[in-house]
Amino acid sequence: MDTTEIRTQIKEVIANATSIDVADIADNSSFEDDLGLDSLTLLEIAVDVDHIFKLNIPDEELSERLQHLRTVQDSVDLVVNHRSHKNVGV
Amino acid sequence: MNRRVVVTGAGIISPLGDSPQAVFSSICEGRSALGDVTLFSTDLMDGAQAGEIKDFLPQPYLGKKNFRPLDRTGRLTAAAVQMTLDNSGWTVEMREENLVGLILGTMFGGLHTIAEFDRLGLTAGPKFVKPLDFANTVINAASGQTAIWHTLRGVNSTISTGGSASLQALAYGMDLIRSGRSDVLVSGGTDELCFESMYGFYRAGMLAGSISGQSACSTPFDIQRNGFATSEGAAFTLLEDHQFAVDRGVSTQAEILGYGSGYDYSQGKDENIAVKARAQAIQVALNDARLTADQIDIVSASANGSKLNDRYEAMALLRCIDLENVPVMAVKSSLGDSLGASGAMQVVLLIEAMKQSLSPGIQTMSKADPDFSMLENNIQNRPVEIRYALANAVSADGNCCAVVLKNISDE
Amino acid sequence: MDTRVVITGIGLVTSIGIGREMFWENVLSGKSGISEVESFDTSAYSVHKGGEVKGFSHGPFVKNIDSGHIGRASQFAIAAARLALEDAGVAPDDINREATGVSMGTTSGEPNQIELFDDCCVADETNQVSPYFISSYPCHYIAGHVAAELSLMGSNMMIPTACAAGSFAISHACDILRNGRAQMMLAGGADSFSRITYSGFARLLAIAPDKCQPFDKNRKGMMPGEGSSMVVLEPLDLALERGATIYAEVAGYGLSCDAFHMTGGHPKGDGAVRAMEQALAESGTSPDDIDYISAHGTGTKSNDFHETVSVKRVFNKAAYDTPISSIKSMLGHTMGAASAIEAAVCSLAVYYGQIPPTINYEEPDPDCDLDYVPNESRQQKVRLAMSNAYAFGGTNASLILKAYEG
Repeated sequence: MDTTEIRTQIKEVIANATSIDVADIADNSSFEDDLGLDSLTLLEIAVDVDHIFKLNIPDEELSERLQHLRTVQDSVDLVVNHRSHKNVGV
Repeated sequence: MNRRVVVTGAGIISPLGDSPQAVFSSICEGRSALGDVTLFSTDLMDGAQAGEIKDFLPQPYLGKKNFRPLDRTGRLTAAAVQMTLDNSGWTVEMREENLVGLILGTMFGGLHTIAEFDRLGLTAGPKFVKPLDFANTVINAASGQTAIWHTLRGVNSTISTGGSASLQALAYGMDLIRSGRSDVLVSGGTDELCFESMYGFYRAGMLAGSISGQSACSTPFDIQRNGFATSEGAAFTLLEDHQFAVDRGVSTQAEILGYGSGYDYSQGKDENIAVKARAQAIQVALNDARLTADQIDIVSASANGSKLNDRYEAMALLRCIDLENVPVMAVKSSLGDSLGASGAMQVVLLIEAMKQSLSPGIQTMSKADPDFSMLENNIQNRPVEIRYALANAVSADGNCCAVVLKNISDE
Repeated sequence: MDTRVVITGIGLVTSIGIGREMFWENVLSGKSGISEVESFDTSAYSVHKGGEVKGFSHGPFVKNIDSGHIGRASQFAIAAARLALEDAGVAPDDINREATGVSMGTTSGEPNQIELFDDCCVADETNQVSPYFISSYPCHYIAGHVAAELSLMGSNMMIPTACAAGSFAISHACDILRNGRAQMMLAGGADSFSRITYSGFARLLAIAPDKCQPFDKNRKGMMPGEGSSMVVLEPLDLALERGATIYAEVAGYGLSCDAFHMTGGHPKGDGAVRAMEQALAESGTSPDDIDYISAHGTGTKSNDFHETVSVKRVFNKAAYDTPISSIKSMLGHTMGAASAIEAAVCSLAVYYGQIPPTINYEEPDPDCDLDYVPNESRQQKVRLAMSNAYAFGGTNASLILKAYEG
């Protein structure tokens, strides 16, 4: 799955959690300022992204990660980095 | 303090319409809310029928917004409350300046959300349950969500007493205003149609026709009755301190004069206790309203087709009401049983009956039990001038509530 | 003059004791009721502890109704009700049935019953759902079963306002008595442990891994718990007539709604402030008069901070002179039972002149700088005690109890 597909899927997750049209979710949209999302919605998006992309982020790290998830691009980067990290050998 | 409590607006969403007039007309025209269910499969329930609000969408009532945080129960509640606020002239600006309360009666809250949340945890693992759904797994979720949606910062309470819930909610709200603790609040109830509750009733043999070999009859008081039919909806009234309403120049529809409540501790097993508990609630309501039973012009019954409960209610009413002459309306004959929302629906429709001087009676009834055969006088719509009305709501296990209303449209 | 309402009996089912005496002794000694969760498998979770009531048996308490088809919260409630009546010196057979009612609160009702339903669905055995599901699951059966067990025909109410439910139920019962609708009320709350509740809080990253540390700098969250508390409420004149022990008088209460967020409080604590102010106004007292506050104190970063802010807004300088402790440090969060247990705690604090501690308090948080009665209980005259509770849905309750002085 390339970055474009990841971005598309993530936008669909956001759309499902918010009823915002995918077309209205820009790559650099800020969750709080542009999309007006509250903390619960943001958590749900993070959980759904984890589920779909099988990131397996431990709960202990999730809180920390959420602090750095401010834009759509941040969540795309999270998935891309996690996958490339998994591809790296021991 | 003993302030007068008046109704200045009402709202309803049901399978028979989304305004008090529309629902009332549908009932008088003999329409039934019951039909095939599309929300879920009823294969396990022998295809039992129910009252479903087909293709319900919140957008027509609330605008184009993000509805993900609200589940069906929350959406029905917010939509019906919107109409209630609009009908009583309570604008957003007024709600920002005043503390408007919300008292919600519900039997189950968002039961479908609770079950789906749990099932996802079982199938995908607890790590992947949905945070937004968790917020709706508390029984008072719809009340909290609707308060956020409509800026309702007064007392926010949820009452869950089964089928009597929204009439108990009205009584609770009435007490808050009467005592001076609140000036204005929205009171009513919601329950959604969902697989979990309907199947639960089916498994218990409580749904009409769920005993094999019998064809379903959920007509209240009818001699052929063999259970009830589940339904859904939301109904609310705007209650205000009378002086407050007068000062803001709004017309008042009805006054809540008094209530009585109690519990059949035999939970339906002992007729003497069951009838006594119901009769006591009715008598206390009359006393609270400072009326005698012969002043009641119409009764709105709780009856839903349940073999025993309909009988207990009839026997309790017989103790004080002249059922030969006083009209009885039983709206569940047309609407089905919307559980926690039913009491509020009864009140909204009683107010319509007052306006139109008409009782919609007990639609589809043909013959009643010999012990209360005079209820057959209510097979048709009956013209009736209503000054005082009695609304009665009783849950399946015997949680009783009776409320007395007065028609004050001429004040 | 309004009817005065007093508390004459207290019954409790908790993870640190069943019955008033054992509970009070343990709460004063700072005993923790937190342990490894046993009622379901937590291996797929990142947290594993909670405040379960272990070893509870309904046998001695559920005598008149069929215990086979009633849920756990109902069993707790019946036990607490019987214990409260016994504590009040009222024999169940002597109760005036028509004039005695029940008013209760809960968060989830009987979640174990819907869990059984879901187990059937997920195992593709939906047709195995119990015929008793619909008469054991709905939350109003908790108050209903208490009435059925004790043959009570009076007003019967279930108010599921989540974490503030106990306070809502007790204040409603007071109103019922003041309006002459009953001569005695059993009021309180009950909730049982469940995987639904545990999963939800775990998913919100709200559960502490090891212990609940309200107001502590390093607090890591709340701890789900379970239990029940019921009190006997009577009009003062009837209590005096029968020579009852009077633990405390209900002086006033306040209810409000934030209308802001479903699971988080208002950032400035507006709703919490209104509830406290209403309670103070109704009881004719000022913040200076309050000798003890039983906090909502869940142990989450957010609640404990906002609660501290709210208390300071109402109490101003007096906040620093008013001990405020959280028994959730010991019991965890017992949901709908919590504010009912806390009302019992306030009554006992007033009656005995003792204040329970906030245990697990290790490092002060500069943003939470009040006197949280760290780790050790205190002997102190308590004439007025306030209990605060803040619920999902943004609904808030404050209850004030005062010493009966004639």
